[in-house]
Amino acid sequence: MTGRRVLVVFAHPSHQSLNGAVLTRVLAGLERAGHDVRLRDLYSERFEPRLSLDEKRSHLASPDTKPQLARDFDDLRWCDSLVFVHPTWWGTQPAILKGWFDRVFAADVAWALPSGAKTIRPALTNVRRIVTVTTHGSPWHVNAAQGMAGRRIAHRGLRAVCHPLCRNSWIALYALDRRTEARRERFLRRVERRLARL
Amino acid sequence: MHATVVFAHPDPTSYSRALLDRVVRGLESADHVVDVIDLYAIDYPASLSPAEWHAYASGRPILDDTVAHHADLVRTTDALVFVYPTWWSSVPAILKSWMERTLVEGVAFALEGPDHRLAPKLTHIRNVVGITTYGSPWWYVKLVNDAGRRVILRAIGLLTAGRARLMWHGLYSLDGRSPRRRERFLDDVERAMGALR
Repeated sequence: MTGRRVLVVFAHPSHQSLNGAVLTRVLAGLERAGHDVRLRDLYSERFEPRLSLDEKRSHLASPDTKPQLARDFDDLRWCDSLVFVHPTWWGTQPAILKGWFDRVFAADVAWALPSGAKTIRPALTNVRRIVTVTTHGSPWHVNAAQGMAGRRIAHRGLRAVCHPLCRNSWIALYALDRRTEARRERFLRRVERRLARL
Repeated sequence: MHATVVFAHPDPTSYSRALLDRVVRGLESADHVVDVIDLYAIDYPASLSPAEWHAYASGRPILDDTVAHHADLVRTTDALVFVYPTWWSSVPAILKSWMERTLVEGVAFALEGPDHRLAPKLTHIRNVVGITTYGSPWWYVKLVNDAGRRVILRAIGLLTAGRARLMWHGLYSLDGRSPRRRERFLDDVERAMGALR
């Protein structure tokens, strides 16, 4: 079997964080499995998360009219697997990653609106796998009460424009602040093992 | 009553902007004092900065005057009102960033005891309101996501310790709506804001 093409999107301001350690293990797992990997490190790249007035007004325009996002579009079309690595803040992805969704999941890249159609059609049918690796400050039951909004955004909302058989994996560490070193290390090992089996 | 309205849309000619204007008009008609935070207009940064992340652990997470001012509004406001378009099931990045930077420890919640138990600090807020437009129809929003509503009414609502009235006004299938239907939604929103207590 040939390797997968995996786009890893990292959204944490510090590599010296637990999320930084998660990223290292994600990349190690993927490399062990021989996958072809591209990494986007949104904070290091100083990615601009705001959908601009121009981008809003040209919401339906072809991607060729948005050269500022050419690299992002290319990455998204190239991959067959999306791996998001981020902390969960306020129940969802950090703003910088939400902004990446807002701007890059654009017309004729992620979705299409054929003339006369009333609803959008999926255009990211190259994506067959979405994996999120995330850490939560709060315990599982608080997240459940909040409604697992982040999971819904990526694994239902974004998934809807991917391949119809696209599979999801949600790999999460809850109650981060209460976890011992040993428990964190066990989580990191689980992350590497899961990603190596992608 | 004092209401703080947080608005997130880049286009001053948008339908969302018309919603904001009607929200303000409704609140003012009931003699409420209104503060509007127009995030795009003030060029609000759309991510928690690395310096802010590092400061988070120090217990003094606010580094910026604008954020400090917004935090002061949140500490005393009686109503928090969010007006935004729903993009990818949730709030625009710029609004998410506002939550991350403003609703920090010491403002929205406290972490108590050795096990960092979450203690609500928004218990003075009487109304939490979300007003949004969706591209998708109602049934799709319910089936698939509605993450914005979950963040605002559940995550923020939780920090009022159940004391606030939670209110949601959504216009679904925005693009398919007639001008009359859109106008009616504006009227409904203005009336609801005028009735806020």
